[in-house]
Amino acid sequence: MAAAAAVGTRVSRLLGRSLPQQGRPMSSGAHGEEGSARMWKALTYFVALPGVAVSMLNVFLKSHHGEHERPEFIAYPHLRIRSKPFPWGDGNHTLFHNPRVNPLPTGYEDE
Amino acid sequence: MTHQTHAYHMVNPSPWPLTGALSALLMTSGLTMWFHFNSNILLTLGLMTNSLTMYQWWRDVVRESTFQGHHTIIVQTGLRYGMILFIMSEVFFFAGFFWAFYHSSLAPTPSLGGYWPPAGINPLNPMEVPLLNTLVLLASGVSITWTHHSLMEGNRKHSLQALLITIFLGIYFTLLQASEYLEAPFTISDSIYGSTFFVATGFHGLHVMIGTTFLTICLLRQLKFHFTSKHHFGFEAAAWYWHFVDVVWLFLYISIYWWGS
Repeated sequence: MAAAAAVGTRVSRLLGRSLPQQGRPMSSGAHGEEGSARMWKALTYFVALPGVAVSMLNVFLKSHHGEHERPEFIAYPHLRIRSKPFPWGDGNHTLFHNPRVNPLPTGYEDE
Repeated sequence: MTHQTHAYHMVNPSPWPLTGALSALLMTSGLTMWFHFNSNILLTLGLMTNSLTMYQWWRDVVRESTFQGHHTIIVQTGLRYGMILFIMSEVFFFAGFFWAFYHSSLAPTPSLGGYWPPAGINPLNPMEVPLLNTLVLLASGVSITWTHHSLMEGNRKHSLQALLITIFLGIYFTLLQASEYLEAPFTISDSIYGSTFFVATGFHGLHVMIGTTFLTICLLRQLKFHFTSKHHFGFEAAAWYWHFVDVVWLFLYISIYWWGS
């Protein structure tokens, strides 16, 4: 703190303007300078949230709802591994099982 | 001498470390009972006692600081070190899962077909919902910075508004990920791809939920006027944790979602 005050004094002498003698160089991390909240508010409403909105639009445009084509079932041994039953239900369904897109080790449930 | 002559906080005796340790024992043995003996009573008890411990312990910290004034500068410095060390330990926790992912994906075994993603795996398109998730978390990083500056400038209305936006973005991320989990054509049991994907993103999602909870507590405390413009370490700790969660996602996105597809 003393070193910072010394720097502040030297700087104000060099610049010849009114840096407060006890003032330390303001960084937006350490202490809120007046107006920096306004900048972050602007960034939130004009950059961050519109960015999210554009990305939402992108997802919507790219989504094909009610797709009927799904990959044919091939009983690869490295997929649908069941070394031990799951501790829920019948022990054969993963936690986020979706019958439309997740086949069991024996194939799709609705075929 | 009937008063302390130093600025440290000698905490009064508390039962919560013991109840926390006991809850950890109940949760671990409970998991064993659930996995192997089809019983979830120990686990349920463990989760309940764990939640009660956390609630009461942290309620006491708020009482000691906001209401009893024990958090001097030097106490706060200790808490800062503590939070930083904790977050560092979490970094190492995730480092393990990233190690597992790169170990498996840089040299895919013959049983996977010798390539990555393995045979039969259709990875998620990184330019769809995962990209949205990335922007959601980045946006929440901006709004939480707005929150902090509003707090420091003493602007109550704005700090509440910005914190609310941050929390909503966190919830939105969790909902998007849940929907991704339900729609994914691959599962956790689909080779080492499924294991690394769901364990890494799953623990990340858990941390998002923890971070969102932490931020919600900050919102409630700010509503009750606990924070001042100069002293709000609880919020700063939540903000550091939130940025950490965001950075982990960025690594996940680049490594697993993008490079790994």
